[in-house]
Amino acid sequence: MIAAPEDGWIRLDPRKLLLDPVKAIGQAVVPVLVALVGISRSDTSYWPFLLPVVVIGPLLLGALPWLTTTYRLTESQFQLRSGVINKRTSTAPLDRVRSVDLEASLLHRVLGLEKVQVGTGVDDERITLDALARLDAARLRATLLARTRPDVPAGTPTTSGPAGPGRPEGWLQDPSAPVVRRPVPPQELAAIDWSWLRFAPFSLARLVVVAGALGVLSQFADDLPILDADQARSAWEWLRQFAVALVVVVLAVGALVGWVLIAVLGYVVQWWGFRLTREAGSLHLRSGLVTTRSVTVEEAKVRGVELGEPLLLRGVGGAELRTLTTGLENGTTQVLPPCPREVAVGVGGDVLGEVRPLRVPLVPHGPRARRRAWFAAVRGVLVLPALAVVPVWRWDLAWWWPLVVAAVTVPLAAVVGEAAYRHLGHALAGDHLVAGSGSLARVRTVLETEGVIGWVLTQSWWQRRIGLAHLVVTTAAGAERVVVRDVPVAVGVALADATTPGLLTPFLVPTDQALGLGPGQGERPSCSGQERRSR
Amino acid sequence: MSELGGTTALLRAPLNQVSPRAVPYWTISALVGDEVLLAACVAARLLVPGVPGWTTWLLVVLAVLAVVHAVVMPRIRYDVHRWEVTPIAVHTRSGWIGRETRIAPISRVQTVDSRQGALMRAFGLASLTVTTASAAGPITIDCLDADTARELVAQLTAVTATSEGDAT
Repeated sequence: MIAAPEDGWIRLDPRKLLLDPVKAIGQAVVPVLVALVGISRSDTSYWPFLLPVVVIGPLLLGALPWLTTTYRLTESQFQLRSGVINKRTSTAPLDRVRSVDLEASLLHRVLGLEKVQVGTGVDDERITLDALARLDAARLRATLLARTRPDVPAGTPTTSGPAGPGRPEGWLQDPSAPVVRRPVPPQELAAIDWSWLRFAPFSLARLVVVAGALGVLSQFADDLPILDADQARSAWEWLRQFAVALVVVVLAVGALVGWVLIAVLGYVVQWWGFRLTREAGSLHLRSGLVTTRSVTVEEAKVRGVELGEPLLLRGVGGAELRTLTTGLENGTTQVLPPCPREVAVGVGGDVLGEVRPLRVPLVPHGPRARRRAWFAAVRGVLVLPALAVVPVWRWDLAWWWPLVVAAVTVPLAAVVGEAAYRHLGHALAGDHLVAGSGSLARVRTVLETEGVIGWVLTQSWWQRRIGLAHLVVTTAAGAERVVVRDVPVAVGVALADATTPGLLTPFLVPTDQALGLGPGQGERPSCSGQERRSR
Repeated sequence: MSELGGTTALLRAPLNQVSPRAVPYWTISALVGDEVLLAACVAARLLVPGVPGWTTWLLVVLAVLAVVHAVVMPRIRYDVHRWEVTPIAVHTRSGWIGRETRIAPISRVQTVDSRQGALMRAFGLASLTVTTASAAGPITIDCLDADTARELVAQLTAVTATSEGDAT
């Protein structure tokens, strides 16, 4: 039915024959069960015909990709052919291969397989080989990456003799063949240090997952027999015999211990065997206990980093690091687990090429920016005292209740506002623009000046009255924008001018003659005397 | 004021204003939008039973606001909206309550689009959008004279065709 692969083309690992049916059955199990239940209710005489179809179907469907998918490595290209009816050939020129990522789910790992993803950096689409034997995958990766070494010019005749299409297995079995040079040994930037586990409970990212799980559990809680109303009441009576405070303490301690366990477990599962290396012009991250994850970020596409210190993590001296890259679906990649701030700063400096942008003190934005930060935070919580008025009016509570609410929330908001102001700031350090932001978390975004695409200066009506503006740096990397918030207009313009020399020059005028985004009104230029550039 | 040194400078306004026909165009589109909203509110007032009487006054206030908006907004907008294209950069200013100034280097421009809705065509207007590799960076010049827009598209397209790299 399906021919054996032609010369030079190699099939995926035969163990894929096990991998895919298991997956296929997993996916088909729900519709099949639904169908079975439906049919068994009406007529059981179909059973002998149906069962083989249901079992053999997934097996056959799972086997087809293995029979039809082949790949080969020629002198200049890596090719993958796949598809049953619609044949598709994906081709990657070898000198364009930018990343080779290996990934293994639990099932892959049990079978000793790995999924290989080859990225060319030209577009987001990646060629996926699912799956190869672990050893073959590693060799293929080394081979492909060795070809991309910058000191090997594209098209150099590195092949001699019958290597290549004529000798399909040769490049795999014989690493000393003259086809490739030895790859540069990877340079290690960071590796897991289990003392970092102490940061796990202070990183709240996982709390979302826990909250989600609790939400799901509460869906079932109604069905549980213990939560019957009568039983709940008797349980409450039973509880009241003890000190309520004790119960609360026990619950709190229990929740805390549970959280620490979950956080530590999650950290271990996610960051087991974590290694960040620099290899063939790319950053390569590999980690994971159950599912091994591997991420390759081409350094030429890294435009900056973001150092994040969420409130709790900062309290214990920890930080997280993300890279800002262009051309990836998701422009920010977390490249370090929560770890000591010094480690994050060091690795960030390695990635950027200079560590100064991560250490340089930020220029604060002045008293008007502070006022705005305070005001924004307080305005945010004034809703609460206002809401507290409703129960007072409805149920005749004491009139001072809203005041109590205000007395509690407003100082808290003021603290948050002050924190937001202190995190605010900017700097220009070497080839990098630095922007500080965040209210509860402290975030420092560092962007290469080369990565700046343009500028947007926005002013709300309020900002215009006090001469502040948001300076938005547009870029192709990360979130595609970096905002320097509430900066005095003249300072923002000077920063933009210094970051991209020459770009703003024709539009600059000394402050007193400014017609543009001045702090006040009265900025209406008379157009009559000026030459109108109608092109 | 700044650690960056040099003289403190501000951005001046871009040189060119948009087409004067933008004022009636903005007036009419504001009126259409406001009327639809107002009509919905009036319909709700008439159809929903037992609405208190003071809502009639609310509707009157709303109508007055709509008229003020349609009269004042286009004039302010016309004063604010400006554009300029130099050999190195595109520079625009827009807004009416707030202000937004955008600058993008010509070398980073990726696409140049012009758009003309039915109502805009009636007024002989066109909008021009210049995009860069950043999703946060598109620059729109609203309500240009249609001929000016056409010339500008041709000019920008010619310039961007000569720049190299993927402009990221």
